[in-house]
Amino acid sequence: MRVVWVAVVFAVVVLASLTIGERSLPPQVYLDALFNYDPRDPAHVTLLAIRIPRLVAGLIAGAALGLAGTVMQAVTRNPLADPGILGVNAGAAFALLLGTTLLGRADEAIVAILAFPGAALASAAVFALGGGLRGDAGPVRLTLAGAALNALLLSLVTAIVLVRQESLEVFRFWVAGSLTQATTRPLPEMALVAALGGILALLIAPRVEALALGSALSRGLGTRPGRVQAGALTVVTLTTGAAVAVAGPIAFLGLMVPPLARLVVGHNLRKELAVAALLGAALLIFADTLGRILLAPQEIRAGIMTALIGGPVFLWIARQVRPGASS
Amino acid sequence: MRPVALVLVLLAAVAAGLLYGQEAVSVAMLWDGILTGEGPGALMIDTFRGPRVATAVGAGAVLGMSGALFQTLFRNPLAAPDVMGFTSGAGLAVVAATAFGLTLPMPLIAAVGGLLAGLLVALLAYRPGHSTPPLTLILVGLGVAFFTSALSTFLMTLLPYNEAAEAQRWLTGSLAARDWSHVAQVWILGTLLGAAALVQARRLEVLELGEDLAAGLGLKVEQARWGISATGVLLAATGVAVAGPVPFVALMSGPLGARITCAKSGTGRMLSAAGAGAVVLVLSDLAARAALPGIVLPAGVMTGILGAPYLLWRLSREMERGKL
Repeated sequence: MRVVWVAVVFAVVVLASLTIGERSLPPQVYLDALFNYDPRDPAHVTLLAIRIPRLVAGLIAGAALGLAGTVMQAVTRNPLADPGILGVNAGAAFALLLGTTLLGRADEAIVAILAFPGAALASAAVFALGGGLRGDAGPVRLTLAGAALNALLLSLVTAIVLVRQESLEVFRFWVAGSLTQATTRPLPEMALVAALGGILALLIAPRVEALALGSALSRGLGTRPGRVQAGALTVVTLTTGAAVAVAGPIAFLGLMVPPLARLVVGHNLRKELAVAALLGAALLIFADTLGRILLAPQEIRAGIMTALIGGPVFLWIARQVRPGASS
Repeated sequence: MRPVALVLVLLAAVAAGLLYGQEAVSVAMLWDGILTGEGPGALMIDTFRGPRVATAVGAGAVLGMSGALFQTLFRNPLAAPDVMGFTSGAGLAVVAATAFGLTLPMPLIAAVGGLLAGLLVALLAYRPGHSTPPLTLILVGLGVAFFTSALSTFLMTLLPYNEAAEAQRWLTGSLAARDWSHVAQVWILGTLLGAAALVQARRLEVLELGEDLAAGLGLKVEQARWGISATGVLLAATGVAVAGPVPFVALMSGPLGARITCAKSGTGRMLSAAGAGAVVLVLSDLAARAALPGIVLPAGVMTGILGAPYLLWRLSREMERGKL
C-alpha cells in the first residue's frame, strides 16, 4: 500500500508545482489552456511556455538521478554513493561548459551530447580511483575520491570562467543546477536517453543483486562481474548525463532517493528502481517549487535546495556507516 | 634531507614569488629597490608582491601547522581541516557576515565559523558509549563541508551581483590585493597560535602513543584533545581570514614537510608542516598569477589542481595499506 502513497505524494507535488508560483493559477485554467489554448491569455502562456516545460525537465532530471543513485548504491554497496557526491555530475557539467566555451554559442542539442562523455569519464575515474568497482572499498574512500574529483573540476571551472571573463551566471550553473532554463533544453531527446538508461537498469538489476552477494558467489551463479559493472556504469552515464543536460548538476538527490525507495518496496532492485524514478522526480519538483516560494520573488536554484535538504541526510547516513573496509 | 633544505626551498620560493608574475623584475632591480627604497623593485616589494608573498607565507604556515596538528591527533593523513569542513565553516561565516552586513573583524568571524563547524563535526560524530574512529570523523566532516558550502552558495544568491562575484572569488581562496595589514594580522595571530601549538607538542606526542597509554602516563586525554583541536581550528581560521578557504594546503603540508626535513618529534613535524605550507601557498599563488598572460587566477585554483591528485594518490596508498 506504500506504493499508493508514493503515487499520491507524486500527484500532489506535481499539482503544487503547476499551481504555485509568482502568478497563481486556478485549476480550471489548466483545462482551458490544454483544450482551448488562447495565445493572448497570459495565464495560458505562462502555463504552456514556462511551467509545463519546467515540470517536464524536473520529471526527467529527477527520475534520472533517482535511477542513477539507486544503481550506484547497489553496485558499490555504499549508502553514500550519489552522482553529485562522487563527481559524475561535475564531470558532465564540466564537459558541457567546456563545449559551450570552445564551440561558442552552439546548438544546445549538440552541446548536450557532450554531457555523456563527461559523465562516462568521471564515473569511470571515480570508480577506478575510489575502488568502487571492487565493491569492497570503504565508504570513506569512495566519498573522498568523489570529493577530490569535485574539487579538481571546480578549480578547472573557476579557471575557465575567470579566463573567459564569463559571468557569475555561468559559474552558478556549474555549481548548482536549476530548472529555469527548461525551455532551451533538448527535453524529448534527453527523456529518451534517460528512459534507455532506466530500461538497461531494469535489465541488469538481477545481476547487480547477485553481484552484491560477493564476487565469488555471484560468479558461481554465472554472473560476470566485469559485464555487470560495465552495464551499471552505462546506466549511470546515460541517466546522469541526461539529468545534467536538462537541469545542470543536482546533488544529493541520488543519495536521498534509494533509502526512501527501500522503505517503500523493501529489497528488490527492480521495484526499487521503479519507485526511485517516481520519488526522484517528486523530490526534485518539490525542491524546485520550494525554491520558488521560499524567498519570492527571488528564486533559489533547485540544486541548492536539494543540497540544503540532502546535507543533513548525508550526515545522518554518515553517522551510521561503519567506516573502513566493508568486507 | 634536513631542515636546512626546507628553509632554502622556502627562501627560493619567496624570491621567485617576488621576482616573477605577470611581469618579471630582475634580481638587480629588486636588490636596488631593497637598498634604495626607490624604483620598480621597491614598488614590487612595498605594494604589489611583497604583502602578497608575505601573506601567503603566513597563511600557508598556519594552514600547514593546523593540518599537521589534526593529522597527528587523529593519526590519519586524511584528517585535515580542509577535508573535515573546518575551513569551509570559516568561509561560510565570512560570507554570512557579508550577506547580513556584520562589520566584525574578519579573523574573529572566521574563527567563530571554524569553531562552530568543528563542534558540529565532533557532536555529530559522537555516539555515547562508542569511541569515535577517525574515519567517521572524516566522513562526518565531509558532510559538514558539503552542507556549509551549499549554505555559502545559497547565501551568495542573496547578495547583489558584484558582491556575489567578489564572494565567489574569495571562497576560491585568493591572495589578490593583500596589504601590510593582512600581513600583520596573519603573522601576529599565527605566531601566538603557533606558540600555543608548540607548547602542546609534548601532549600530542603522548597522545600519539594511544589513549590508554597516554592516560596511564598521567595525561588528561579529553582535555588535551580539546585543547589541541581548538588550537588547530583557530590556526586554520587565521589562514582563512586572510587567504580564503584555499583547498588542500593543510592536507598536503604535513606529509610534505616531514618528507623534506625527516623530522620525528612533534615540534619538528609541526614546524616542517608550517614551512611546507608556506612553500605550497607561495608557489601556488605564483603559478596562479604567472601561468596565463593577462589573467591572474586565484591561488585556490592552483592548490585545488595540485591537491586533488594528491588526495587521490593518498587514498590509493591508504587502500594498499588496508586502512580504508
